Amino acid sequence: MWDYVLERRELIAFQAFQHVSLVVQCVLLGTVIALALAVLVYRSPAATALANGVSAVGLTIPAFALLGILLAPFGFGITPAVIAVTFYAALPVLRNAVVGLAGVDRSLVESARGIGMSRSAVLFRVELPLAWPVVLAGIRISTQMVMGIAAIAAYVLGPGLGGLIFSGLSRLGGANALNSTLVGTIAIVLLALVLDLLLVLAGRLTTPRGIRV
Amino acid sequence: MTLSTETPQRGAPESATRRADTASDGADRAGWRALATQPLLVLAGLLAFAVWRVNATLTETEARQLGWAALWRSTREHLLLTVTAAVIVLALAVPLGIALTRAPLRRMSPLVIGVANTGQAAPAIGLFVLLATWLGFGFGTTVVALVLYAALPVLRNTMVGLQGVDPRLVEAGRGMGMSAAAVLFRVELPLAVPVVLSGVRTALVLLVGTATLATFINGGGLGVLINTGITLSLDSLLVSGAVLVALLALAVDWLGRVVEHVARPKGL
Amino acid sequence: MSETTTPETPASDAAVPQRRVSGVAIRLDGVTKHYPGQDRPAVDDVDLEIPAGETVMFVGPSGCGKTTLLKMLNRLIEPSGGRIHLDGEDVTDQDPDKLRRRIGYVIQAGGLFPHMTVATNIGLVPRMLGWDKPRTATRVDELLDLVGLDPAVYRDRYPRELSGGQQQRVGVARALAADPPVLLMDEPFGAVDPVTRLRLQDELLRIQEELGKTIVFVTHDFDEAVKLGDRIVVFDIGARVVQYDTPDAILASPAEEYVADFVGAGATLKQLTLTRVGDVELEQVTTAAVGTDAAAAVAAARAAGQDFVVVLDERGRPISWPTLAELGRATTVPATVDPRLPVVGVRSTLNDALDTMLAASQGGVVVTGRREALAGVLKVEAVMAAIRRSRAEVAG
Repeated sequence: MWDYVLERRELIAFQAFQHVSLVVQCVLLGTVIALALAVLVYRSPAATALANGVSAVGLTIPAFALLGILLAPFGFGITPAVIAVTFYAALPVLRNAVVGLAGVDRSLVESARGIGMSRSAVLFRVELPLAWPVVLAGIRISTQMVMGIAAIAAYVLGPGLGGLIFSGLSRLGGANALNSTLVGTIAIVLLALVLDLLLVLAGRLTTPRGIRV
Repeated sequence: MTLSTETPQRGAPESATRRADTASDGADRAGWRALATQPLLVLAGLLAFAVWRVNATLTETEARQLGWAALWRSTREHLLLTVTAAVIVLALAVPLGIALTRAPLRRMSPLVIGVANTGQAAPAIGLFVLLATWLGFGFGTTVVALVLYAALPVLRNTMVGLQGVDPRLVEAGRGMGMSAAAVLFRVELPLAVPVVLSGVRTALVLLVGTATLATFINGGGLGVLINTGITLSLDSLLVSGAVLVALLALAVDWLGRVVEHVARPKGL
Repeated sequence: MSETTTPETPASDAAVPQRRVSGVAIRLDGVTKHYPGQDRPAVDDVDLEIPAGETVMFVGPSGCGKTTLLKMLNRLIEPSGGRIHLDGEDVTDQDPDKLRRRIGYVIQAGGLFPHMTVATNIGLVPRMLGWDKPRTATRVDELLDLVGLDPAVYRDRYPRELSGGQQQRVGVARALAADPPVLLMDEPFGAVDPVTRLRLQDELLRIQEELGKTIVFVTHDFDEAVKLGDRIVVFDIGARVVQYDTPDAILASPAEEYVADFVGAGATLKQLTLTRVGDVELEQVTTAAVGTDAAAAVAAARAAGQDFVVVLDERGRPISWPTLAELGRATTVPATVDPRLPVVGVRSTLNDALDTMLAASQGGVVVTGRREALAGVLKVEAVMAAIRRSRAEVAG
């Protein structure tokens, strides 16, 4: 296997970069969308219930099915991959952001309003920082999950390490089929662990010291 | 003063009882109402699909693949994969979870959880292909892959559920002379049921979704429709397959929620 | 009425209990617990005799080994050395599950199983002992009645539908279910509010009066130990027995400076906690049953020179104490329950009575005896007189 990796290190490195780049960009995009949605809904119980329902139902939809559905309008390529991966990345963050924002002590919000902070100042200075650890936990779940989903996205000609797995599948029994699959799989596991570690680190750096556990 | 804080029963026991009852009734009704929307969504989806299927003009290949009998066969295959894997997962992961929370093996549990978590980061498709190179194509390999993939949530939730039982209750049970087995079956497991079941539901949904990948290693199921649709560029096939799998996942998730709702021990 | 208003004579000399005894003696011989990896044993060679039918309180700082010692009595913790005898029988090597069915065990918040009803919780041990369902059900109702909860109301409730104090009562009922001779209580009242704790302590005293079990009770509250205990064991680190005596003796002459420190300053005033409400002469008051003629009650009170009437419910329990002016406005005696009515039991201490008065901002308390029936009224003046008397005694 080492020979295989050494021989193709540039291709593998490129695919790994593509994979991570797809995941990171989609998680960022998904997080922004999810946070915006959470901020919109968290003050209304009905909207909160709806958002929770959407994230629960959304997470039951199989990734392969969603990719298939997206193929019909968008065709092969990067678009369906990005949409699908962003969709799955946003859901856990949405769920956790709603929970996190709802969990902020009401008396803190009141006292912030009491000292004259505007609504948006309360949101950005008090509520989001306090909800941040919960949101971050959601981002970690998202990242782990979409690392695997991105591998399936390779089937619809999206970029990334999934290509190695599918090329192994198509040449099963042939030379290097096993190597190709193994390298793709292991690389995804390793990268997922590295990303998770980075997120933990980011959590340490971005969580206000007073609420760190 | 003393009376009011300590013995509310003397004031008006009936009203107190009624209040408690209506409160739990209310929660119950809200729970059932929340459960009612999901099957309606599934039924509406099925209906829409049926209406489209009856009115659509299809090519010969499409019509053959989307015949009611063929659809039913694919769905049955898909369910068979899911149920077989689920039964094996339950039979393995729950006892393993129990064993890993008992005194002799307890020290190993962080290790097992760590390994399992890492394993979870492995892409399902990679697992399928790797197992296929080792065990060959077909139903059996698919089930093995599904079991490996879905065992973690059940294992983890079994352990978390059991670890979440208040140790003082275990001690109270032992203290009144219940044997270790009696405490496990009468106290720990009933209290862990909600957490375990939610793990089982997660696993079931995961299984329905992951079983779509069975098509890549000739395991059958609804994934075949999607895959054929993709390779032959037949949108009707791939959308049908995708919609049916999504509806199946929603239905299975709903069934799981119903079971959770019914099996949740009273008094919690 | 005359029967219930007579103050009960408490067992003044605790070492010679005059009550019925259903408990058995416990004897510890050199009991030791040594945890691997620790230099000092958690419990070091303890010898202790606990007489049948007495309440023995284990007190000491946290980490002194008192809870460890308690848990070795029902072998939740296996001793590493020494013997434990129950009623003269060496139980050190007996099957722990069988042993524990003969020993009631009460922990903080009752340790009730939240997924079982009150009745199932209480009936667990009897069922394990092979009792049939009807017998268990009868026993459950009997026990609920004993701990002051109406079986019809509470039998089928789940623990979360009960208040903290009620849960604790069910915990005691569950421990008593199979009528074990010994009751172990591990800081049972630690998690309830002070007023409820006081009430539960009174209940325990009353139940113990009725049953005469051997009770071993761990607490870190010395006042609680003085109030509940026939004897107190004061422990130091390693469960070293520093002093083992009756509360009066420990208060009067602490064995070491350590005990004196632990007992705390104002030990003479703590003597107050030794005086039971029942030891003081209670004021007899005019009573009126719910629904009887209000004017007649007012007249009777006037004739006795009193300015209030205590209203009793159908079971003879006090529910309110309206002034004559208030009562005069009604035609029949109202059934309104006064939630602020200050009540203590006859086995409460003067300290408790004073606390209750202060909490209710009233100049007196209603005192209840068996099954919460009226025993009389205690005025603040009577408490003050008792304090003066006890000061004079200590000084003299």
